Amino acid sequence: MASKEEILDALADYQVQCNNNKRLRKMQRNWTRKLNFVAEDTGNVFSMDVVNGEIVSFSAVPIENPDIIVTTTSENLCDMFWGDLNPSQKYLQGEIRVKASQEDILRLDAISMIIWPDD
Amino acid sequence: MIQLKKVIKLRTVVSTSAGMALATSCYLAGLQVANMVSGDLAWISILVAGLLALLSSLNFSELTSLYPTAAGIKLFIQNAFSEKTAIIIGMFYVVLGISMVGAESYLLSSVLSHSFRLFDLYWDRLFWIIFFILFVGLINLRGVKITGIVQDILTYSMLSFLILVSFYAFWKHGFHFNFPWHQPNAQAGGILQAAGVGIFLYVGYEWVTPLAEETTDYRMISKGMMIAIGLLSVTYALFIVAMHQGLTEAQLRSGTPIPHILFAKNLLGSKGVVLFVFMSILASVTSFNAGLLNTSRFTYAMARDNVLPRSFSKLHLTYATPWVAILGLVLFSIGISLVIFFTGQYLYIIMMAAALECFIYVVMAICVIRLRKKIPEASRDFKIPFGLTFPVLTILVFTGLLIGIFADVTRDYNGKVLFQNYWVAFGMALFFLFTAAYTLFVVPKLKQKAAVRAMARKRRRPGKA
Repeated sequence: MASKEEILDALADYQVQCNNNKRLRKMQRNWTRKLNFVAEDTGNVFSMDVVNGEIVSFSAVPIENPDIIVTTTSENLCDMFWGDLNPSQKYLQGEIRVKASQEDILRLDAISMIIWPDD
Repeated sequence: MIQLKKVIKLRTVVSTSAGMALATSCYLAGLQVANMVSGDLAWISILVAGLLALLSSLNFSELTSLYPTAAGIKLFIQNAFSEKTAIIIGMFYVVLGISMVGAESYLLSSVLSHSFRLFDLYWDRLFWIIFFILFVGLINLRGVKITGIVQDILTYSMLSFLILVSFYAFWKHGFHFNFPWHQPNAQAGGILQAAGVGIFLYVGYEWVTPLAEETTDYRMISKGMMIAIGLLSVTYALFIVAMHQGLTEAQLRSGTPIPHILFAKNLLGSKGVVLFVFMSILASVTSFNAGLLNTSRFTYAMARDNVLPRSFSKLHLTYATPWVAILGLVLFSIGISLVIFFTGQYLYIIMMAAALECFIYVVMAICVIRLRKKIPEASRDFKIPFGLTFPVLTILVFTGLLIGIFADVTRDYNGKVLFQNYWVAFGMALFFLFTAAYTLFVVPKLKQKAAVRAMARKRRRPGKA
């Protein structure tokens, strides 16, 4: 089980990786979304604000009426933000559940694929 | 509870489900149903097919409420059986499903070449086939999305238009519905066999299940599918009977691939033709576009899961769409369409699609039964009532229809044999063997390569290296 602090550390690294990746920034340049990440085992909810492909902020406070809600275990969330798991695989196994449009689900997965292409 | 900012409403679930099923090839499939039951009784076969589609939708509803995800069919089968079974059946269903574009593009090209002459009939048809597929491929590549409101307008306009035209045709021809007991040659067997082909009219209604992730209540998907099937049943029943009545004997005997255009010309003149051509383009483009969108995302996901070569997961840097998957499917669609163009056997694809639907409905019913046993306590927002009665009924009915389709012979209006349907079974079996061989021999190698890559990669998470 990953603690709130561990996930916030992972999110901080994820923010740097995303914002510093030119290819990703180009692809997501028109993508502005508010996301919630729910750790179902701990009950913690994290949020992220993406503006034109840039992660401008994240916190351990949920956003009301987000565009995307990702629900999984705290361990999966932590591994996903560190790039240690393939979100697509977990999604296809039903371990990660996403409430969003199909386009947003693909874009969310694209982030991991572009930052860590060797997965 | 936190809710999404944008959620899909019931009317859009209905319009998406019905819109996926409405295509140009439906007019021809409907006429084929009418030919099988001497025209007037087509409405019974269509309604029976609708009831059967409704039966199958119960299984999709329960499975979607259990796993409300765009990974849908693959996840249902994977959890009910195994990953290998899910890959085999998933690929079989999705790839064979996209081959329907072969019939669709051929029929749309017939409509367009009949209406606008560029070169001559042969080259015009070839031109429109390729143009249609490339056009839809391009809008998919650009990530052009049909929004919910546009889908609502398109679907409900098409359904209303078809119903209005049907009533106008009945009024003009003084037609009234015939009942089977008024027809001395009506046979229950024939009506049921035609209902088997009538399943084609509903092909694709279940592709609305990925929208579960965009709704507030998963039960909305089941409700939406059922309402869509109801709307389609009524619309098809009216329109197919009206169209059959509105065509001349010579037109019926000609084996035309564009019965709705001839019907429009007879009923409304050249203005009617323009309207129906426009309708055909809308129906074909929207259903193929949605089909390609779903299939390319499925291909992308399979590549990300190391089931297909990694190149299929490449994304376009400007549009963020899986361009290799789209390109591969476009080329596949052109290939199938060219085969149909040179052989003219579009009815083969229609029979195959009907059989494929029967097959997947049986698989879904088995999944419901397996998952009820494996995870009886899992939360289901929708559970089919009366225990296993309906899933078992689905298996029995659709296995029967599947056998019925394969045992039958496809004929034209004049009774001339076009092909024995066991060739459809043969083609499907061959493709099934291909997907099975691919899953058993190629997928393990791709997975092994991925595992080697993963082993070589150092974990980044602190303390977990």
